[in-house]
Amino acid sequence: MKGTEFDELAFFAALGASGARALLIGRRALVVLGLPVLTADYDFWIHIDDIECFNAAAEPFDLMPTRGPAEARRHGRYALENDEHVDVLVARAVPTTEGQRVEFDDVWSRRRAYPLTPAISVVLPAHADLIATKRFASRPKDLEDIRLLQLLEGEGES
Amino acid sequence: MSADHAERLARIAAEAERSCSPDAAAAYLTAPMSESERNDALALIRWFRRRYPSAAERLAYVRRAHRRWRRDR
Repeated sequence: MKGTEFDELAFFAALGASGARALLIGRRALVVLGLPVLTADYDFWIHIDDIECFNAAAEPFDLMPTRGPAEARRHGRYALENDEHVDVLVARAVPTTEGQRVEFDDVWSRRRAYPLTPAISVVLPAHADLIATKRFASRPKDLEDIRLLQLLEGEGES
Repeated sequence: MSADHAERLARIAAEAERSCSPDAAAAYLTAPMSESERNDALALIRWFRRRYPSAAERLAYVRRAHRRWRRDR
């Protein structure tokens, strides 16, 4: 299966069934919330112990890891690739550019599931945590995204 | 692609990927948004959420939009 045939719903179903603690972050998470932003990639933050089951869930979609699990744990990130590109963050905690330490376990405990079908959901960080993930790099586009998330929050939709 | 064009693209990519300092980020995020900018952004968000009410529709839309963008660029 190549990217042009990529079945996104089946991909999220496989991730959900795998038991991997995986949070969709990045711009696709903003899209789920209803923000009209363009993105090419998927970004996940997963539990550091769940690399193997996350990769196993992605394997039927021909998504191949750029690093083995041990190396990914050392680097704190890797990617899954074919025509699609999935960036995967695997750190237990990540500092923001302001020096705030954001722990995966804390973010996971506050996660929110958004149904895609009655049987398939995608899991996102809570609104404030999603904003915190945007402060990991604080690139210009991350700051734009934070402003959009703040607008959405002002709308009473988060 | 000419070397000059490639160099310009690389400069743009580097600028897009740079991290802003905490002070620069705070200044950007606390700067007031003009009323028209806010209204335009909210109108677009409301349209998008109304047009694509479910998360699955929104994700499907962004895949179509990205395919169009790649085809047309």
